[in-house]
Amino acid sequence: MADTFDAVRRAVGCQSAVLENGLTVLVRPMPGYSSTYALYGTRFGSVDLDFEVEGKTVHLPAGTAHFLEHKMFESEEGDAFARFGATGASANAYTSFDKTCYLFSATDKVDENLDILLSMVNEPYFTPATIQKEQGIIGQEIKMYEDSPDWRVMTALFGCLYQEHPIRHDIAGTVESIAQITPEMLYDCCRAFYNPANMVLAVAGNVTLEQVLAACKRAKLPVCPGSVRRLEADEPAAIAAPKARFSMQVAKPCLGVGFKEAPRRGVKFEVICDMLTEVICGGMTPLYRTLYDQNLVNPGFDGEFLALDGLCCFLFTGETDQPEKVREMLLAEIRRLRAEGVDEELFTLCKNQLYGEMVQDLESTESAASLLAGSFLRGCQPGEELAALASVTKQDLDDALQTMLRDERCATVVIDPAAAGEKEELV
Amino acid sequence: MSLHTEPIAAGAFLHTLPAEKFNRCRVSIHFRFPASRAAATDHALLPLVLERGYAACPDMTALSRKLAKLYGADLTVATTMQGACRVLSVSVTGIKDEFALQGERLSAEYAALAFGVAFEPYFENGEFSAEAVEIEKATLARQLESEINDKRLYCVRQAQRRFFGNSPAGVARDGYLEDLPAVTPASLTAAYKDILRTATIDVMVLGLDEAAVRPLLAAALEKQPRTPAPLPGYLAMPAAPAEHFEEKLDLEQAKLCMLFTMGRPADPEELDAYRMAMCVFGGLPTSRLFLNVREKQSLCYYCASRITAASACMMVDSGVEPANAQKAEAAILAELQKLAGGPIDPEELQNARLALASGMAGVGDSLAGLENWYFGEILRGGRISTPQEAAARLESIGADQVRQVLRRFTLSVSYLVTQKEETHG
Repeated sequence: MADTFDAVRRAVGCQSAVLENGLTVLVRPMPGYSSTYALYGTRFGSVDLDFEVEGKTVHLPAGTAHFLEHKMFESEEGDAFARFGATGASANAYTSFDKTCYLFSATDKVDENLDILLSMVNEPYFTPATIQKEQGIIGQEIKMYEDSPDWRVMTALFGCLYQEHPIRHDIAGTVESIAQITPEMLYDCCRAFYNPANMVLAVAGNVTLEQVLAACKRAKLPVCPGSVRRLEADEPAAIAAPKARFSMQVAKPCLGVGFKEAPRRGVKFEVICDMLTEVICGGMTPLYRTLYDQNLVNPGFDGEFLALDGLCCFLFTGETDQPEKVREMLLAEIRRLRAEGVDEELFTLCKNQLYGEMVQDLESTESAASLLAGSFLRGCQPGEELAALASVTKQDLDDALQTMLRDERCATVVIDPAAAGEKEELV
Repeated sequence: MSLHTEPIAAGAFLHTLPAEKFNRCRVSIHFRFPASRAAATDHALLPLVLERGYAACPDMTALSRKLAKLYGADLTVATTMQGACRVLSVSVTGIKDEFALQGERLSAEYAALAFGVAFEPYFENGEFSAEAVEIEKATLARQLESEINDKRLYCVRQAQRRFFGNSPAGVARDGYLEDLPAVTPASLTAAYKDILRTATIDVMVLGLDEAAVRPLLAAALEKQPRTPAPLPGYLAMPAAPAEHFEEKLDLEQAKLCMLFTMGRPADPEELDAYRMAMCVFGGLPTSRLFLNVREKQSLCYYCASRITAASACMMVDSGVEPANAQKAEAAILAELQKLAGGPIDPEELQNARLALASGMAGVGDSLAGLENWYFGEILRGGRISTPQEAAARLESIGADQVRQVLRRFTLSVSYLVTQKEETHG
């Protein structure tokens, strides 16, 4: 199978450079495309709360990385959205558990947009007044997520699985935690993590490597020799709590089943884990069919896998009228697969499906740039995932099932529907 | 990059778009027909039943495995509302033949699959399978009951129910919970056959060999008695005094949805002006609503506007602090009034023009973008414009046109979903 991946390997091909200041630049020119998608990312996410930078120990309140992402759009010259708006570009940013990314998509004035992107991130500007204003807006964002049952199930699962790891905290933090953020903390984060050596600039579409390198040169990115050391939480192997149950305004109960695994990284390992979720409860499995035909779950019931530094877990979530029954059926299916092994045909089909998804991910400028940036941020090479997929065997999945997804490291979250609302109509 | 359209039979068209640069190809079959309140729930259930399987592959799991074998090809059956029209769409997207690992002719399989699902469903004794219908009725019931889980969408739907009343433009895309018990294999089959007989059919081919698709369409049409029905045009709800509704739920962030009517049907040829008006008012991070209501006044987390031309409706929806809901509504109305009657900075217009032109220039960079653009043009009626032609026309849209568009809108319905506890003032 590995030899026949050539067409895709060619499509993955990107040009790269590592600048003197340490910034990794990855560019994939896409002939025939009008748009360009650029992503400037740093290995700094919501779980990076404790670290040492230049000999100083820093402990951040929850939500700082996300808060900093919002603040990066402000500079002494004004709002970066306005500057992007004047070129016609569409700009945005996001923060996840382990990274923060700033991005734009444009069909014109790519050089100008690259200049804005690089300058907004490399020329931070914070004052107590601007921080206070942002606390109100992010407070609203936090409340919006608190109304999302999917989000609440996931965060509650992390709270059950982990005793110390900062994934226990919401990415955006809480209204109380972000109230503690100071300009000094944000400048510490910039020194520690917005160092070009910790960052990647990935660009795909109607662009050349020379164009991107010229923009980096114009930006005069600083050389930051300072070192950062993350202070990792001492996380025990045991879960924090086997279950959590609460209510909110939902129509049906929501179920989350999580499994805590020994921390491990690696592209092949992550492909195996992705495939495991698919062979357990993906659309092709007998379990999914039974759950669906018996009206036990909604079509969105599925599993996912997450690996970060110091953390590795599986999450299975969905809506169901019978959370206990669905949980038992899920655990029984995992035990069955552990005893009997994964079905050979299903394994091959999953592999085919993943291959198709990888081909798809190379098609748009957005997914191509995201793939490039993601490879750097995960510490691997573009295209490595494809090679890993080619090498995965059914035996790899069977072996993984012997040690992973064990009942004793499983936690369950249930959200029950709250009482119905009141309607009041005013003319 | 432009659309080539070939009439195949009365009310049936084959549209092709070049898509050489993509790794994937796509074929879609769109059925357009007048929305019906009586058949709404049958129409809403059809996608779920059709997506389970078809005559050549009746089993749902077998179909999932077939798609996986085609390298994870995506089969989507969906229905949408376009004013008083309903659209039922069957689409298959998958990687191109050159990426197949065993030299398979994938594109031919995609076409066969799409036409199979659309025209050759799995019947038992001349009707949809009773078992499949029962299972999918339960799935649809769960979906309808779960509407409240997404508070933003729930608020919008509640507002729309009041705004549209019994108008055909207000027929619920997902049907009605109370009608589900009456849906039977017979009623669903009748609704499906009625669509095959009366709908306007648009087949869109992107990156597949249209020579292979043409006979499939011709063969499908030959088997059906066809009497395409006229499609309803654009409509509008009459202007009326604004009504305010409030619903209390157990939530953290309140949702406010304001629906405005133009009072008369929109002019499909004015689409450029509608787009510009929405970009200046509330469609961008540089729009008035974002800059003034969110950034300056901190009254909401999100606040965006959009126009649905087919029903002459403008919507502003926002997520607000429960205590700020009234202030947010007043601020939104004040921004609309200021924009409709006051000066517009040339920079605001230029930002809107550039953002729209950039989006239009990027239409050709994705299969979905291309199909959405051209199917949107087909739905609009009249001459089909390329994105480039539409972008060029934006130059002629000035402040006067933007003001004229916005002046026509009056608030009809304001729906607030807010906190149950009286913790706000």
